[in-house]
Amino acid sequence: MTAEFETGGGTERLIAALAADVPPVARRFIGRRIALGIAGGGVVSIGLVFALFGMRPDFSQAVFGVSFWMKWAYTISLGLIAVAATVRLARPIGGSLLMLWPLALPVLLLAALAFEEMARTPVHDWLSMWLGGSWDRCPWRVLLLAAPIFLGLLWSFRKLAPTDLRAAGAAAGLAAGAWAATIYCLHCDEFAAVFVLTWYTLGILLAAALGALIGPRVLRW
Amino acid sequence: MRHSEAELRALMAAGLDGDAAAHAALLRTLVPLMRSFFRRRMRGDEDIEDLVQETLIAIHTKRGTYDRDRPFTAWLYAVARYRLIDHLRRRRVSVPIEDVEAILATEGFEEALTARVDVDRLLSGLSTKQARAIRDTHLDGLSVAEAADGARIGRSDVKVSVHRGLKALAARLREQQR
Repeated sequence: MTAEFETGGGTERLIAALAADVPPVARRFIGRRIALGIAGGGVVSIGLVFALFGMRPDFSQAVFGVSFWMKWAYTISLGLIAVAATVRLARPIGGSLLMLWPLALPVLLLAALAFEEMARTPVHDWLSMWLGGSWDRCPWRVLLLAAPIFLGLLWSFRKLAPTDLRAAGAAAGLAAGAWAATIYCLHCDEFAAVFVLTWYTLGILLAAALGALIGPRVLRW
Repeated sequence: MRHSEAELRALMAAGLDGDAAAHAALLRTLVPLMRSFFRRRMRGDEDIEDLVQETLIAIHTKRGTYDRDRPFTAWLYAVARYRLIDHLRRRRVSVPIEDVEAILATEGFEEALTARVDVDRLLSGLSTKQARAIRDTHLDGLSVAEAADGARIGRSDVKVSVHRGLKALAARLREQQR
């Protein structure tokens, strides 16, 4: 190839310096990097659950129950969709938040389940079902547990290249919130679908909003 | 446009596999491309070399975000566009900048990609002198004087070669259509 070697001296020196460090890059680099960031932050969040809230006392029975898996199916599916969007938005011209439309599926399924549960419950019990025993703490705890995961994602993004920083921040916040909610299930013994639909979702959305808010500042490169 | 998408992409892929020489060749090849990209979109000249260097660093440090299965030039110009916007933001200048698809069209890559194959096949039927004259003046954008100096022939010779070459091409195209 006959490249135009009329590069300036400084630029030529820069290229030589950059070319001195060319490690191979794995395929699916972005996905691995993001998974690693979430896992790292997730370990810290699990530690926080044990230190601050404690494991739910009936955990060993609960894992055989329906409501535990209803909650996990909801938060994990949100987490996977959010991670897929984050991976896409982590590269230049990565697409838009429209990729999040599959979120409608778990939300609608959980809403249907909530309606079905309420139909089986006397009306005067609806309020206690909706508020559970921890409605005023749940969203904030999810948000708190999302913080280490979001920090892990910031580490991931140091080698990534989002060009729509607000959208990338929102997707990263959503992913952090959804995985934080998944981890919070280790402690939380609420069982009503309408509780999860409202208060878990609220905590996850708070994390996403915060991510969108600070994304343009913290994701710059 | 001397470098095709395929060439740049091959260099990038080799660099991603750890080939330092290919990576250096890629960065060197991109320098003139980046210079003309920024020159076309900036008023002053003084920042252009800074921008080129910032973009080279970005291409290097963010190379993991290039997906080997996607067009390389789209990725490249998206990175360059981001660096330009960030640069202008730091200077607190606001200038509207086209989106990446518009950039790809202006930088001529779309046509270059599809057209090159056909042109190469067509030109291969001409004499070397005629093919080179057409390539220089009509594809690479050289003036007649530059083409003449490059090929060490007279200017009128270039003009005649272009004229005869294009006529021969037209005849061949008519033949193919029949």
